[in-house]
Parts: sequence; C-alpha cells; structure tokens
Amino acid sequence: MCLVLALALGPASLSVGRIWHLLLAGPVRGDLDNAIFWQIRMPRVLTAALVGAALAVAGVILQDLFLNPLTDPYVTGVSSGAALGATIGIVLHFSNLSATTVLAIVGGLGTLVLVWMAARRRGRIDVFVLLLAGVTISYLASAMVTVMMIKANQDMTQIIYWLMGSFSGRGWGDVRIALVTVPFMVLPLFFAREMDILLQGEKRAMELGVEVERTKRMLLVTAGVLTALAVSVSGIIGFVGLVVPHIVRLLVGPGHRGLLPVSLLAGASMMVIADLLSRTVISPNEIPVGVVTTFVGAPLFVYLLRRGRRA
Amino acid sequence: MSTTRIGRLTAALLLVAVLALGVLALAACGSSSSSGAASSSPAASASTASGPITVTDDEGNQVTLDKPAQRIVSLAPANTEIVFAIGAGDKLVAGTTYDDYPAQAKSLPKIGDFNAPNIEKTASYQPDLVLAAGGIQDKLRSKLESLGMKVYVVDPKTYDGTIQTIENIGKLAGAEAGAGQVGDKMTAAQQTVQAAVADLPKKTTFLEIYSKPLMTAGKATYIDDMIGIAGGDNIGAQAGAGFPNFSTEVLVKDDPQVYIADSGSMSKPGDINQRAGFSALTAVKDGHVYVIDDDTIARPGPRLALGLLALARDIHPEASISQ
Repeated sequence: MCLVLALALGPASLSVGRIWHLLLAGPVRGDLDNAIFWQIRMPRVLTAALVGAALAVAGVILQDLFLNPLTDPYVTGVSSGAALGATIGIVLHFSNLSATTVLAIVGGLGTLVLVWMAARRRGRIDVFVLLLAGVTISYLASAMVTVMMIKANQDMTQIIYWLMGSFSGRGWGDVRIALVTVPFMVLPLFFAREMDILLQGEKRAMELGVEVERTKRMLLVTAGVLTALAVSVSGIIGFVGLVVPHIVRLLVGPGHRGLLPVSLLAGASMMVIADLLSRTVISPNEIPVGVVTTFVGAPLFVYLLRRGRRA
Repeated sequence: MSTTRIGRLTAALLLVAVLALGVLALAACGSSSSSGAASSSPAASASTASGPITVTDDEGNQVTLDKPAQRIVSLAPANTEIVFAIGAGDKLVAGTTYDDYPAQAKSLPKIGDFNAPNIEKTASYQPDLVLAAGGIQDKLRSKLESLGMKVYVVDPKTYDGTIQTIENIGKLAGAEAGAGQVGDKMTAAQQTVQAAVADLPKKTTFLEIYSKPLMTAGKATYIDDMIGIAGGDNIGAQAGAGFPNFSTEVLVKDDPQVYIADSGSMSKPGDINQRAGFSALTAVKDGHVYVIDDDTIARPGPRLALGLLALARDIHPEASISQ
C-alpha cells in the first residue's frame, strides 16, 4: 500500500489515470512523464523499500544476538567501513558513481571480517568482544573519513551528503544491488526457532540442542551483509534499524516467526514513507531522509512505549 | 635522590621554555616594528587621496581605513585574484592554501584554507585589511574585529555587485585605477553578451553544482544573475536562495533546454546523459550538455567575465560569441 502511495505521489505531479497509463505502457524512451515514473520514481521507491527492510531485519538480528535493546545495525562498524569505502570513492573522483557503491560494499564487508577476526577466540565468537571491536573500528573509520574530508576539501559537501543518507538519484543499478539483500532477508526466517531460544542465553540454548556457534555465525554474517549492502546504496540512514524492531516487538511480541517478517515489511514501509516525505514536503528541495525517519519514528516510538507500559 | 634530580630537571626545562618564549616574543616585536617602519614610507607616497576611506561591503557593513591598506590578508581564492588583478598584489601578505591564480598567489604565505582560516595566523601578519568571504566564513568577522582587524566581506549577489566590490577593494588598497580597468573589462564582457543575446529567446537552463545529491544555484546568487544575462532562464531559481539541493523529478518535469555542470561537480557530459531519466531531457536529446570551468564561475572575481562569456556560448551557441 505504501509502495502504491509512494509511486503515485511526487514533486512532479502525475494524475492517477496518467500513472495507470504509464504502468501499462512500460518504460518508453524519450517521454518525460514516462522517464519520471520509470527511471526516477520507481527505482527510488524500490531502493528505499529494500534498504528499509534490510536495516530492520539486521536490527532485529543484532538486538537479539547482543541481547541489547540499544543495538542498531551500525554498531558492528560495518556502516563506518562502508562510509570509508564510499569516501575513498568520492575523493578519487570515480566518474562512474557505481564504483563508489562497490567500494562501500568492500569497505563494509572488510570491516565485518576485521571485527570477526577480533572477536574469534578458540573457534568461538564472543558477542561482547564483537560489539566492542565493532564500535572501536567504527570510530577509527570515522576518524579516517574526517581526515579525508579535510584533505580533499572540494569533496566535503558530497561526503557529508553521502554520510547523511539519501535515495536521491538512485536508479535501476542501485535496485539491482539492493535486490541482493533479498536472500539474506529470507534466510533468518528459517532460523526463527533457534533465535527464540537464543534469547534465553547461549548456555540454555546449547542445553536445548541448538548449534549456538553455527547459528550465531550465520546470523552475524547475514546482518553484516544486509547492513553493508543497505548502506552502500543509500548512505547512513539512522533510526529505522533501531526503532522498527522495537515497534514491531511491541505489536506482535518477541517471537521471531512473526517479528522477522513483520519487521521486514514495517522497515520497508517506514523507509518508503520517509522518502516520500523527504522528496515532497519542501519540493523542489529535498529533506535528508534520515531526518524524516527520526521525525516520524521518534514520536511513534515514544507513544508505543507508553502504551506498551500501560498494557 | 632521584626525586630531586627530576625536580631539578623540571626546573631547568621550565627555564629553557620561559627563555625560548621570551626570545620568540622579542623576535615577533622586532619583526613587526621593522615591517611597520618599512611599509609606512611607501604608504605616504602611494596614497593620493587624503583622509579616511569608507566603503560598504557585501554584507552592508561600513569599512573605514585611515589610509590605503598596506598589509592585506585574503581568506578566499577569489579575493586573492581580485587584489592581484587590480595591481595591488605586492600588498598581499598572506592568502589561503587554495590560492592558485595568478601563479604568484601560490607562493604567498598561507593562513589555512578557505573553510577554516586560522585566526591566530591571520592576526600574526598584523594586516590592516582582511578580505573575508560570506557563507562558511559568516562567524569570522566578529572574531577578527574583536582582535582589532578591519574586515571587508566579499559576497556579491550579482555580476554588477562583483564589479562594485572590486572597485571598493580598489579604494581600500589605493589601487582605484587598476580596479577601474578590471571593472571596465567585466562590463565590456557583459555588454558583448547582452548585445549578442538581446534578440534571442530565453532558454531554460539548469546549472549543476553537485550531482549526488543534485545541487544548483538558486536565487540571489551571482550565478543566477549571470545565467539571466547570458540569455538563460534559471530553473534552479524556484528552489530558493543560495545553493539548494534540487529534486530530480522536478528537473525532468521542467525539462531544461540547456544543462551545464560546474566542473567542481566532477560530472562529465557522458555521465550526465546516462543518468536515470535524463535520456528524455531536451538538453540531452539536442546535445546541449556542457561542463563549465569551476574557477570562472565559483569565484566572484575578475574571471567571472570569462564565466559569463562561457555561459552565453553554452546557452546560445547560435549567437557565436567570441572570446
């Protein structure tokens, strides 16, 4: 529903009949309205949906793995690593913008490997060491981004805007990258039972016959890949990965069989709506989408928290 | 035993530090007084006008000097270009790390870069005039003035305003004749362009400052003014003042006839043509996508004349405007 609404509305107004016509016609080269719908709005909305879903699922996984309600997908340092990669791409002036995206993916996954190596001890992954290593590497990467911003001054604006996150100008190439997240979003659904049991602690889970290390490893890699891909496409957009899992937990409870798919949909919806507001409210200017996610998410979250308390 | 040794060592170190500071302070006083003496004699002979000079800068502040400036610090590459162009380059004592034009500007001592000029370093040159910029340097004026420096803010909003500011700097630096010549050249370029495009229809034009996100030149900028002079209708003006970001959807809807990217955006015509949705643009279909030299359009100084001519050539190639 959010998808339809977002496709229908935009700073360049197209009537419902016109959109129906455009939808049936398919992409046609050379027509302006068609280009707005198929080349600009459609890929942008799809990218936002996929990124929102990926961040929400990664948020669920990491919050439950670290048993820490303040965890968001960015604590693993993956996002800062991706930011470092993107900054290198921007500073080196790759004329091909997707090269920057690829560098961001490399940076994000590289950070994941580093954090992973830091947290591995005798074949086990210590999630608390992993959390600390993630935060530390994230600070290190941010410091390097800052140094690069100062050295490559003329690119500062572009880097700052990348860090703020946006879906402006995202095309089908970005959708293709974002689509890679789909299998990683589906995968955790098959481990819903194990994730439920892990909430009771690793020891208890082991007693109940869960292959704790294998499950943890799989979930961490999944969350890391989801975050790296999402951040590479959109930049760093806050709040969705932190708040959507909490909101959904308040609505459907902590069981992962419901929590994971509903978070996926809620993340996608929230991001699509946030991006819709970001591109329409002060058109032809745009508000950074991360600002909108916070404005929309914060009051909603506080309201649900209060309601949840009373119930 | 060891504690007394450490104590003695500390005392010795402190003494050395105090002595070093004293020597430095003396050296600083010595150099400033000698340079003051050296510069005061030519000042007397160079200044033709008597009495204080007062001009109003681009932020509406009155700047008054008792005599023409002899020690100028420039906080922006455009300001440095202006001072050299009017023939007062010998009075520049420091500039920024970005200063690269004319070639002599590169060898000037640097007070930091345009985004973050070092205030202490600026003060250390004991300038009698500081040429600042608007925008990112907005909060700088009060700090510099509280240290006793005279500040002129260069932040013109139109092409004519740029000429006016150059003439003002000419007065402050005692180089009015040079400034007049620069202004005449800029006015001549403007007249050439105006005559060439006078009978031609206005063409809708989009000027890209950055590509990700898309940013443009809005109202109340000298770039907007120059697009108008060059016979263009600036699409970016609807997005408000300054340098706002701009919706790609609206850009495609408004369908500019001419698309010009500032070279600072690092965009190439080939990339622009291939952006999502751009293949439908009239500018792309007709091959009117251009890149303009950042130095001639992003620096409000004498080289805006070149930028204006380039804009007019891109917007109205049929007018065949020569250099």
